[in-house]
Amino acid sequence: MTTATMAAPKSGATFGIDRLFLVLALIATAILVALVLLDGQPASAALILGGFGLGIAFLKAEFSYTASWRRFLTRGEAGGLLGGLIVIAITALAVVPVAALKQNFGGAIAPLGPSLLIGAFTFGIGMQLANGCGSGTLYTAGGGSGRMLIALLFFVVGSVFGSLSLPSALSLGGIDPILASDYLGPWGGLAATLASIALAAVLIVAVAKRRGASFMPSRNYVIGGIAIGLLCVGVFIAGGHPWSVTFGYTVWGAKAAAALGFDFSHAAFWQWPGPKHALAESVLSDTSSLTDFGMLFGAMAVAAAAKPFARTAWPPAKSLLAAGIGGLLMGWGARLGFGCNIGAFVGGVASGSLHGWVWFAAALPGCLIGIRLRPLFGLSRD
Amino acid sequence: MRKTYIIVVVLALAAIVGNHLISPSSGRAVSPEDFAGACAPCGAPCPSKK
Repeated sequence: MTTATMAAPKSGATFGIDRLFLVLALIATAILVALVLLDGQPASAALILGGFGLGIAFLKAEFSYTASWRRFLTRGEAGGLLGGLIVIAITALAVVPVAALKQNFGGAIAPLGPSLLIGAFTFGIGMQLANGCGSGTLYTAGGGSGRMLIALLFFVVGSVFGSLSLPSALSLGGIDPILASDYLGPWGGLAATLASIALAAVLIVAVAKRRGASFMPSRNYVIGGIAIGLLCVGVFIAGGHPWSVTFGYTVWGAKAAAALGFDFSHAAFWQWPGPKHALAESVLSDTSSLTDFGMLFGAMAVAAAAKPFARTAWPPAKSLLAAGIGGLLMGWGARLGFGCNIGAFVGGVASGSLHGWVWFAAALPGCLIGIRLRPLFGLSRD
Repeated sequence: MRKTYIIVVVLALAAIVGNHLISPSSGRAVSPEDFAGACAPCGAPCPSKK
């Protein structure tokens, strides 16, 4: 190795760090942690730090549900989807039995009906247009993508509209949540949940083989999947429920709208006890917001530690338009579908709730539509 | 884009801290699922309870 080649990495490492944004991300996280600790809430601090870890893990592993689903639908490649199932399986090992056996813990459940189907389908379209899902939007926006900052803004706006639409969508009908542990007990429910994940993996691999595509998850997806799964367990233990992303967006949007004079006192959604409490209380009293903030700043910190932050130019207007439309659709769809790929799919399946798989089955055809629409905005179908 | 990010981060942080300081904070952080009658992560009621 020559002196020049030996010196290059050192030099790159020194100048690769973006101290301004690294310090900004760390100070912001420290301020939020300090605020919740001053209130005597160590669990809230744990949720912020859990989100911080998730931001790092997602960005370092480049873990993308949106791209994985697109590669599966367009080329049959199954590695990314299987990486996502690793996350769910690890999370389920803790969520199903603990939620069934311990007080103050609960799984992610949701009713089955038209609202779930419409919401998940719409979300699927949006995630392909925006090129990011609930978690993806968060960590890429935190990681320095201005395009995804636009998607996040419209995601927030769309979720407020979704909150206003949800009561009407629920009036279309539906049935109560179906939870495996309610029928089979904690351990039988866990066995059934893991069996359903294994069956899904077998089906996904079969499709990949039939299409002559690869199905082995990359090393990044295996390691990232394990790390994200363990962090999901940590968030569950700290918050009492599986990790969810999008309710926080709805709260932020509603708080901003209320500050601008919008009156939510006649909106049915905001009269339900949970949302009403979230709108009235500090944003740091909402578990979803805590992990969201942590994830944003975690992704920012790790991105700034690796290279100059947000140095790329803004993308073309058509691409920004797709991000905005995609964000709106995801926001609206997430409220009607009871969450995103994290809160509804990962959280739902990992809780042994049937709605998780129904959400997945409804979101996939939405993704197909979204993939077909991408070229209209100058985005590739791959 | 960096300037946009600096503005967004500073404004967002100010909004979070400001909201925390002027809003009540009654104990541990909660999810809408923690409230009685909640049937979904957003706190929606069960169809059977309507």
